Amino acid sequence: MTRFTENLWSDLARDHGAALACADRHEPGRARRPRRRYLAGSTLALAGAGAALGLVLTAGAAAPAFAVTKTADGSVLVTISKTQALPQANAKLRAMGIHEQIIIDMASGAAAVSGAVTCTPAPGVSGPPVKVLVGTNGTQVIGSGNTGAGTWHLAACHVTGDTGSGNSGNTGAG
Amino acid sequence: MSTEARARAPVGARPRERPPNSLLEEFERAYLRNVDVIMGYFARRCRDPHTVADLTSETFVRAMDGFARFDPSRGSDRAWLFGIAAHVFARHCEQSAGDRDAVARLGGHRALGLNEIEELADRIDAEREGAALMQRYAGLPPVERAAIELVDLEGLTPKEAALALGVSGVAFRKRLSRARSRLRKEHRGND
Repeated sequence: MTRFTENLWSDLARDHGAALACADRHEPGRARRPRRRYLAGSTLALAGAGAALGLVLTAGAAAPAFAVTKTADGSVLVTISKTQALPQANAKLRAMGIHEQIIIDMASGAAAVSGAVTCTPAPGVSGPPVKVLVGTNGTQVIGSGNTGAGTWHLAACHVTGDTGSGNSGNTGAG
Repeated sequence: MSTEARARAPVGARPRERPPNSLLEEFERAYLRNVDVIMGYFARRCRDPHTVADLTSETFVRAMDGFARFDPSRGSDRAWLFGIAAHVFARHCEQSAGDRDAVARLGGHRALGLNEIEELADRIDAEREGAALMQRYAGLPPVERAAIELVDLEGLTPKEAALALGVSGVAFRKRLSRARSRLRKEHRGND
């Protein structure tokens, strides 16, 4: 290595290395669309390219990996360590009398900006602003061998009105 | 730079690389394998050390940004990097130096140290023969010149060179064959 190539590598690693360190190689030939995780009752549906791959989670099978906090500015901060905890977090919102349900779009790679993402409310939703923080500072790493293995970040977040019965006794409610 | 990349293998030993832990580490290895040849590619085209530095930097910034999309099953990282370098050089020729986004993203034109300039000047000097050869090929159409350069000078396989130039293998072989045939005719004409 010459001085130039060594310095160039230092610059590259410093300015662009962090994103690559957390990134996964894209699968060839596979469309890279954000994965939408959508909650309806106790089901978590992955909707991409209009097709749906439905997974039914048994909420409560593991310890809740989420927290719902009302902040001083009146907004609600939902922290979920893994996206599987979203149904429980939504159930918690309902139980707290906040009739808003969260839909998140996950995209591959680490979050470019760490921290919570403010959700966009659907028309007609008038509840408090909702912010969502996924994983560690906005990045969730799913270990190899698990469904969706890789590094993910929250690309977008939406809030819809809670059209459910408001009964937290639904199957799988947290 | 990882200490592993600097470690020297014992003489005669076949270095055994462990699999990279991340794309960054994989990219670092690709960088180490190829930075010199990519620099040589620009050194054959430009006499100014700063320009060679800028174009090399720009190539690797772009490569780093796109490395997650690089598919090793389609060809070597060297062929892929030559493809990027060719685009970078074509853009350099088309545009003024004022619009060089990727270099700007490295904090602008990094001021080179005196020793870096000397190293680059040496590299340009070392490529003098290659540059002269490229001058001799100046009469060839650009695609044929690129075909000759990548295969005969850089040692890429025709398949890899086709990938680098973004043409089909069949089209590439035709160009390569045409280029060699032209050069043979020229050579015979000079005799």
